[in-house]
Amino acid sequence: MMKTSKVKTNKSSAMGINAHKTTQCYLLLIPEIIGLLLFILYPMYWAAQKSWFYYTGIEATQKFVGWQNFIGVFKDTTYWNTWFTTIKFMIYKLPFELPLAMIIALILNKKLKGAGFFRSMYYLPNVISVAIIGLIFSNMFDYFGFVNAWLMKLGLIESEISWLSTTSGAMTVLIIGAIWNTFGVNVMYFIAALSNVPEEMYEAAKLDGAGKLTTFFKITLPMMAPVMQTVILLALNGSLHTSDYILVTTNGAPGGTTFTVMSYIVNQFVPGFAQNSVNLGYGCAMSLITSVIMCLFAIAYMKLSKRMENVY
Amino acid sequence: MTKKSLKNLPYYIFLTAVLFITILPILYTVLASFKSNSEILTSPESLFPKKFTLDNYITALNSESFNVPRMLWNSIYYTVCCVTINMLTSSTAGYVFARGNFPGQKALFAVFSSLMFISLGSITIYPQFEVLDTVGLSGNLWGLIVMKIFGIGIVNIYLVRSYVRTLPAALEESAYIDGCSFIRAFFSIILPLLKPIMATIGILSFQASWNDYLMPTLFTLTRPEQRTLIVGVAALKSSSEAASSWNLMLAGSTIALIPVLFAYGVANKHFVKGLASGAVKG
Repeated sequence: MMKTSKVKTNKSSAMGINAHKTTQCYLLLIPEIIGLLLFILYPMYWAAQKSWFYYTGIEATQKFVGWQNFIGVFKDTTYWNTWFTTIKFMIYKLPFELPLAMIIALILNKKLKGAGFFRSMYYLPNVISVAIIGLIFSNMFDYFGFVNAWLMKLGLIESEISWLSTTSGAMTVLIIGAIWNTFGVNVMYFIAALSNVPEEMYEAAKLDGAGKLTTFFKITLPMMAPVMQTVILLALNGSLHTSDYILVTTNGAPGGTTFTVMSYIVNQFVPGFAQNSVNLGYGCAMSLITSVIMCLFAIAYMKLSKRMENVY
Repeated sequence: MTKKSLKNLPYYIFLTAVLFITILPILYTVLASFKSNSEILTSPESLFPKKFTLDNYITALNSESFNVPRMLWNSIYYTVCCVTINMLTSSTAGYVFARGNFPGQKALFAVFSSLMFISLGSITIYPQFEVLDTVGLSGNLWGLIVMKIFGIGIVNIYLVRSYVRTLPAALEESAYIDGCSFIRAFFSIILPLLKPIMATIGILSFQASWNDYLMPTLFTLTRPEQRTLIVGVAALKSSSEAASSWNLMLAGSTIALIPVLFAYGVANKHFVKGLASGAVKG
């Protein structure tokens, strides 16, 4: 089974040494392999199996229920509403964040003095724990907090806005905090992508009399398409999996309307967040369905965005 | 003023405005932590404290229920363990996938990579606790550290793998001829050359484990004395005395912010390097 390329690079090693090498490779991978079996595959098997049972954590009262958990999840409107919230979170966040990051990247790409300083400052919020970010934003947007006080002072609002006790207010706070947290990452990606566009292309466009907007849409953007594909995938993936941040900032408030799907599962089924003796079988079924949908999202996006890879 | 700098002025105004919004929440947190609790509640609009006080820090350092020195210590040992473990396991695994040639290599690497997208989420905490229970480590921060030993840090593995691939293979081949084994070649030849990439991995896993929230929360539910700083501060927010504890939360947050901000200040190029690797494909 030896590959020819390997034979070339490894001329000196005889077959015996290779067998020896195989053992050593596996020796070095022992932690990962044990981890895969015990902490990833076994838990998956456990969850897949428990999803057919009514199970509250006590083996004695466990009961086989067939498809009931899965049917229950499909009929669970609260659960599907958290999907709706997740998507809402995503489609409110990305259209603000990505263009903002793009504009900043285009400006920073003009080789201004201090561009490096601005770039690293914009990335700063990303090194902070989302738990702390949740805390800061819920303090600043408190009814008697910093933001309301300033909006009143500047005369932009007549009376305090109760940000965190209305669904739309709480969503606004969550989205502002999330954009604040991650826009700098996208600035970095976009700057890297922009530096890959060859200067000659801009010069050629200039000679042909292309305006600034035309140049951006006909040259810059298409040249950045492969990076855009990855950036959007990462941003989508990040928004879909948002969980800790919601748990700390609003914990679903008001009335569970700001739960994204991942934070909802934590809130319903994970010890320390959930109530005692919930049906974990139901939670397993919900987790399975959720992860299948997440995968479908990723696959669908990869398929749909295929043509971004080869625009040029 | 030259014509060029005048032309750039609108750009600078825009960049500075964004900069202001970027640092405002951090600045607000740090400055508010020096306000008294009543000032936090009554004059939220002032950024700077009217009366500068260290009371919050003194309270935080002496409080029984919100024991900052203890939580700080937990954060430190948790982070140090995680960083050491990550650097060790990802460097050996990255080396194996870069230089190894063994049956099952491709399949194993594909499985490890697919874990980035396939995950059942937090419900798996139950079977993970079940496994750790057999060695008496469920519901214990040390249990989480043990689990990290067996973790698969695929992004870090990618980083090491591509770095090792840039090193000439001739390095180890001459050692093989001298009878050096595959594992020894790693420790005596490759590992010393990995310093730059190890620095990146170290910084990234420092940031990740210091900031870790959900998993340390779950592993310290029955042992509040093992809470890390992030867990403790967030727990205070969801407790009943949250409204009267903003001063403690802000002081705790500030203390929790200092190490990551400092790390970013001295090593921000490593954060950027890790970021670029997040986008690598295949």
